[in-house]
This record gives sequence, C-alpha cells and structure tokens, in this order.
Amino acid sequence: MTTTDNTKRVARLAELREKFGRHPVEPQEKHYQGGSQRDRQPRFCGLESGHRACQGCGEALAARLVMECAGPDVMVANATGCLEVFTTPWPQTAWQVPWIHSLFENSAAVASGMEAAMKAKGKNTKILAFGGDGGTYDIGFQALSGMLERYHNILYVCYDNEAYMNTGIQRSSSTPHAASTTTSPAGAERMGKRHLKKDLLSIIAAHHIPYSASASVAYPADLQRKVRYAMGIEGPTFLVVHSPCPLGWKHDSHVTIEVARRAVECGLFPVVEVERGAVANVMPIREVRPVADYLGMQGRFGHLMDPNDPRAVEELTHLQALADYNISHYNLRGEGEDPADTAGITLVARDRAAGES
Amino acid sequence: MVVINRGAHAEPGTSLEFKTGNWRSSECPTHIHAKAPCHAACPAGEDQQAWFAWLQEGHVEEAWRELVSANPLPGVTGRVCPHPCETACNRVSIDTPLAIHNVERWLGDEAVSKGWAYPVEAPAEDAPCVAIVGSGPGGLSAAYHCLRNGLRAEIFEALPEAGGLLRSAIPPTRLPRPALDAEIGRLLALPGITLNLRSKLGRDVLLDELKHSHAAVILSPGCGESKEWNVDGAVPTDLHEGLHLLREFMDHGQFPEARRVAVHGGGNTAIDLCRLMKRHGVEQVTLVTASALPGPDTDPNDLINVVPRELEEALEEGIEIVEHATVKRLIMKGSRVTGVEIVALKKLLGTDGRMHRIQFEGTERVVPVDMVIPCIGERVKADGLHNLLNRWHYLDAKDAWSRTDLDNIYAIGDSRGDRGTVAEAIGDGRLAVQAIAANLKGEADPQADDRPEMPAAGLNKVYFGAVKRTVPPKLPVGERTFEAEIEGDIGRLEALREATRCLSCGNCLACDNCWVMCPDNAVIKTAELAKDGSHYLFDLDYCKGCGICAQECPTGFIQMKEDTWHEGD
Repeated sequence: MTTTDNTKRVARLAELREKFGRHPVEPQEKHYQGGSQRDRQPRFCGLESGHRACQGCGEALAARLVMECAGPDVMVANATGCLEVFTTPWPQTAWQVPWIHSLFENSAAVASGMEAAMKAKGKNTKILAFGGDGGTYDIGFQALSGMLERYHNILYVCYDNEAYMNTGIQRSSSTPHAASTTTSPAGAERMGKRHLKKDLLSIIAAHHIPYSASASVAYPADLQRKVRYAMGIEGPTFLVVHSPCPLGWKHDSHVTIEVARRAVECGLFPVVEVERGAVANVMPIREVRPVADYLGMQGRFGHLMDPNDPRAVEELTHLQALADYNISHYNLRGEGEDPADTAGITLVARDRAAGES
Repeated sequence: MVVINRGAHAEPGTSLEFKTGNWRSSECPTHIHAKAPCHAACPAGEDQQAWFAWLQEGHVEEAWRELVSANPLPGVTGRVCPHPCETACNRVSIDTPLAIHNVERWLGDEAVSKGWAYPVEAPAEDAPCVAIVGSGPGGLSAAYHCLRNGLRAEIFEALPEAGGLLRSAIPPTRLPRPALDAEIGRLLALPGITLNLRSKLGRDVLLDELKHSHAAVILSPGCGESKEWNVDGAVPTDLHEGLHLLREFMDHGQFPEARRVAVHGGGNTAIDLCRLMKRHGVEQVTLVTASALPGPDTDPNDLINVVPRELEEALEEGIEIVEHATVKRLIMKGSRVTGVEIVALKKLLGTDGRMHRIQFEGTERVVPVDMVIPCIGERVKADGLHNLLNRWHYLDAKDAWSRTDLDNIYAIGDSRGDRGTVAEAIGDGRLAVQAIAANLKGEADPQADDRPEMPAAGLNKVYFGAVKRTVPPKLPVGERTFEAEIEGDIGRLEALREATRCLSCGNCLACDNCWVMCPDNAVIKTAELAKDGSHYLFDLDYCKGCGICAQECPTGFIQMKEDTWHEGD
C-alpha cells in the first residue's frame, strides 16, 4: 500500500469516526490497536451505548450481559417490547450484530426461520431470540412452544420485568401476585393483581428441551455462565432473566441491582437450572430474607406495607407463603459454605498476582 | 449528512451518535479516593489500606516499602502500638477488625531477615543537617525522614545506647531486644545519619550552639522524670516511682521486697510494672486507675490508655484492677505504708464546662499493702531545656508541625505533653521534618491530608464475606518469663491470608462491578492506570446518572457528586 493510499484511508476512517462516533474496523485488520478507549475494552459489546433505555434499566443491562458472552457470531430476532424500542430508534441501532424485528408474537417463529436459513447456507451462526415477559409468557407463547417442539438450535432469552412496561405498565401473566399495575390497580376493590405469576420455567421444562434456566441481573457471573453453557448446546435452550424496571416497579434507579438481589434472597425469584425437565442445579440462599425486604423497596407493592390494613397483611403473608413454597420446592436453603451461593458468587477481592516481586 | 429514507439503502447508523449523557438530571458518578479509617486513625501516618493492597497482590516487599514511607520502625510499632487503626477498622461492621499490628510486625521482621533496603537515598555531602536531641522513636523517625527529604541528620543521645524509652521502659516480653536492636541498627546505619552517644544536652552540647551549627533543631528528649506524687502531702519515705522501678528492674532484674503492692495509675508503664512484679513473685498486685476497663458501653475518652492485648494478658495473669478509683489516703505506720484507702471517682463535666475528677464520699475502702507505687505519668527532665519548659514541665509545640516559639526549634513526641504513644512520636518526627524541608526550600508548609474518611456506611457490604481473624500464638501464663516474647509471630501464610480480609475502604480494588453493571456501557475499562488509581473511566457522553455503579461499588470509591460536565467536554 502506498503512502497516499494510507493517508486517504486514515482520512476516510477519521471521517467515518466523526460521523458515527465509532470506527468501522476493516476486515483485514484483525488486531486493531488504535481507536478510542471504548473500542479497546476487553469485551465484545453487542449492545452499544446511546440506546434509549430509562436510567437504571435492568433489561438493558441483562441484554448487554447476554450479548457479551453470546456474540459476535450471532443473529438476533427480537419481539416487540421495550428492548426493541429503546435499542432501535430509526435510523439508529445499538446492536452490533444482525438483528430482526417483525412482530410482538413471532420472534420465536422468525428465529426458527433464520435458523433454518443458516442451516441451509451451511453456516454455524447461532440464532438468539429475545422477548420481554409480554412477548414470551403471553403473546409469543405458542410460537415459542412451537420453536421448542421443532427442536431449533436457538437460545431464547426472556427479559422478565413482570409487566408490559413499554406500553405503560399493564399486567402480564408474569406480573407477580398482588403487584399494582395500570390494569390491576390496587384500591378499594383489589390489592393489585389477583392472579399468580405463571410458572413458565416448568412449562418450558415440560417440552423436554436440553437446557432451561432462570438468572438475575444481580448475579452477572451466574447469568453469563448460563449463557455460555446454553451457547454450547445444539438444540433449543431457554433463559429467563429477572430484570427490574425502575419505572414500572417504582423504585429508585440506583437500587436496580439491590432489588433484583433481594428478589433472589427472599425466594420469590428462584435461580435454577433445568436439564431435560429435571432440576439440575439451584443457587442456594445462605441467609433467607423476609419478602417484605424485597417488596418494601418497590412502589408497586406499596399497598402491602400497611400493617393496620388486614387485606395488606393477608396479601403480604400470601407472598411470603409463595416464597417459602419456592424455597422448599427447589430446596434453596444452602447448607454450609458454598461458592455457588447467593453471597459466595458475588464476593469481591483484589486480584492476587501469581508471583511475588 | 446522508438522507435516509424508508426502504432506501441505509448506511448503518449507530446509536453512539446519540449522546444520552444529557439525560443526567443532577449528579454524576465520580471516583473519590477517600481515606481508609485505619489511615485516618494512625498517629504515625501509615496508610494501612495501601500496604494491605500490595500484600493482597502478593508483593510483600512493596508492602513494606509503602509502610516505611511513613513509619521506619514497623517491627517495633507492630509490637508496642495500641493500634488505633484496628479500633477504627470498618470490618467491625462485618465481623472483627483486621489484625493490623500482627501483620505489621511480620512485615518489619521480614524486612530485617531479608535485608530489604529502606526507600531512601544518601543525602548530598553539603545537604543541610538537622540536629535531633534524643534517639527515641520520635528522634529516630525524624532522622529517617531527614534522609527521605534530602537532609542529613545528627542525633545527640545522652545514654550509651540508642532507643530511648523503647529500650528503657518497654519490657522484653513485649519488645525483645534482638528485634529492637536489628531494626534500630539498620536505621542508624543509613548513610546521612550521625549518632553521638553519651552526648547530654546541657552538659556535652548546648541548645544555643546547635541552633547555630545546624539548619534546625528537633527536640525529642522524651519524658524522663516522674511527676510529683503525694496523697494530701503524705509521701512514704521508701517511695519508688513506677518508671524508676521499671528501669531498675530492666538493668538489674530486682524489685524491692514486698508481698502486696498497689500501683496507682493507668498507662502502659503501670500495666508493665504490675505484670513484672506479679511474675517476680509479688503475691497481690492491685492497680488503681481513674479510667474504665473496656466494656460495651465504655466511653472511648474514659478508656484505660493501654495496649488492649496487654490489658487482656494482665487480667489473665491475675492482676487485680480497680477501675474508676483513686488513692485517697495512705495508712502509715511511722513513715512506712501499711495500707491504702481507695475511693470511687469519675471524670465528670463540671459547671465550668471542664472535666473534673469527682470523688464519691462513702465509697472508701482500705486495701492492706506493703508498698504503693505511683505511675501517674512522666514529664520532661529539665537538663539543658530550663528556659523552654512550661509550668507542667513540658515543651510547648504550637502546631501540627511541632514548631515551638523559638525559630527553627521543634519539639516532638512525649515531651510535648499531649502525646503518649510511640506512633505519635513517629508521626511527629515525620511532620516536623517535612516542615523543615519545606522551610529550607522557601516553600509553604506541606498540605495536610484533608480527604474525607470512608465510613462503614459508605461500603456495600454485600460483596464482603465474614472471614475469621488470625489468632497469633501466645505463651501460656505459666510459661511466661522476663525475657521470652509473649505474643508470637503469625508467619507468612497467615499474614497474607489476613491481608485478604482488608475491605480496601475508599480505594478501587478492580472488582469490575461498575464495568459489568452499567446498563449504558458508560464505564470504560482501560489497560492503563488512570490518574485516580483505577482502571475505569466514566464516559459521561452516555452516562444517564442512574447511580447503579455508586450503589454497587463495594469500597465507596464511586460516589454520586454534583454534575459539572457539559456536552462536548
């Protein structure tokens, strides 16, 4: 390459960088060492900054964590929902991988087609399907069931924020019992949602697929381990990620992780792995919290916090019973020290270099 | 600008074009390296958090170098210091404080046995020379910090050996002489320090001469004289003062005959003396102190001022301690003591707004004894310093740099009257020399470290588990002698394990929480070390100010502060 060519190339790169804020890496440059600090980070960023998620969005965090260890050789089919809306405000996109959105109900079906196309082309690109709890528990449920039954090689990730947040916090079949939403408001008639949260994982497990699991944004290492494990499986896999929504759950944006952590610690959101329909692994809880610790942080359960209201006390006790049921059903009470427990997995320490100087 | 229409071929537009940084309403995340409470509490000025960080990374020699950048005598302080750092340690809110003094001592001993070089360079031949009177911990620290500031130091010591009270008043069971000699010897052998033994101020050298012959004078004579003591004017004829008895015993190994002894006072000298006498065969040793023993409700200002370990060992050994009491009357037979009358007493706030010692009438009781020993504190021996002493026989130092009213004369350590520990003397030495060095260069006084302290509430304790504190080996009561050190060495493995308990309060420990948990990728991890000592940058172009990083930062290194960023910065 001549010097003039090189100068031109550099100028063109600078121009593009100016325009897009990020350099397009040339295919021949395998180990590009230049670029900004952002580009030189030691991780694959499949979902970039500049997306329009609210402050403290648990779903944006979860999606980035999933992309980080799934990518870069993946394609994504995305159902309608917050994730779709905040990542792709036309003409921009936060996705750094091929990404398709068609409808609310059909992301599993679209993904199935993408997978078949890749197979036909002889490519190994893994297909991911993303949906919120609305697009998974309710609207896209039969497409998902079909995808699992047809045994497509797809990882389906459900970002579970427990209501239709994008359209204005309407209850879904994933909304927990007694949570207040715009379509299940707490008031004189009812204490929030009357029905129970759908036990989706058991339904998925009944499809006898190789792997399905639940994870939480409060335990990123656990979440990412599950994604990596699922990526290595040939066949349908399913992951539901508990992702707090500060707007819909009505908590401060900075406590997103704390809220998610308490959901796990109280037993209301059991973090488990299911292989071929059988529970293979659970994240044990070292010290179980009362559900009030979790519920009390959120405005959507605010109506349960009045100890002088017998209806509130009844519902609070009901939720505690549901948590206790989960703990005994999945045997979540860890015994002794366990590096995989809720505390053990998040402990931090300064890395110790191998040698002594 | 490329115009993109629906259905037309579109160039990929990345959302990076859209700067979400202007969504922040009021605060943005900031890296703040607050003081760890151990560092804030250390009178010697050590940054324990910093050297524990080196240990956590397995760099033992760097840890020692970091430690001796403030305190050149870790082998000594690790043994004798009452460790206010451990009292302040934030780990108390999780389990028990770090065993900082045990690790410090191990580091000091390790440096001696491995011969690690002190981080100093020989000063220039013509560098200004500072005169230092006294070679106790304060004087030694001052001499060492002279080298660190490019100055030479000349020490004048009245006794035939250096060490001051480390040698004369601390029993070898607490500070074995080989350990003391090794550390002091290494320090005094550094090029640029001259030691004149048997050079007594007022006899061999005069303050006026030193003032002219040296760039500055640091007075660290210590307190060599017991305060006057009497009970309503009565003094037994065979009165022995505590410090005097202790020195005699260290020199000759003998105490005067006595079966039952009452010691009056509440410091380390008193406790050391009680324990030595008990071990020497005195049947009953009673310590009468105006202060309180440690308990759950004890006011720190009222607490007996001794090394906690020493107090614990004294109680183990059967020393009786009467707290909140004083000697009211001596019961004499002729001029000999046969008993003491003890009365309950407390320090209470008076109507004049000052603390007063109030005796409570009706609480008197008599303890029969053969000897009563005052250990109520010491003051400066006047030799050569007559004009400088105040009415309580101390030197007046007027600021943190230990300046006196006289130009270029500094008074540090115990002689100031408001000090009382080895660590404080070491800290005084460092600060005085820093002020001298700045003065000589014509600069203003060095800046004090006024960073805020990181409280336990500023940490996210979810990320730290309970880990058992190391327990050092200890001689059983029956095997304690006058020579063998009572507390043992914890050893390398335990020291490194103990270091992992450090919470790194206020300082980044590179856990990646902020980087992993930012929903907006606004935390950027860098290979290079940033100026603030971390490997993370905030990309304020995209940070929406949610505050997750600050909330989930285990050490409080990230805090939400007022936003001063403007788009395009």
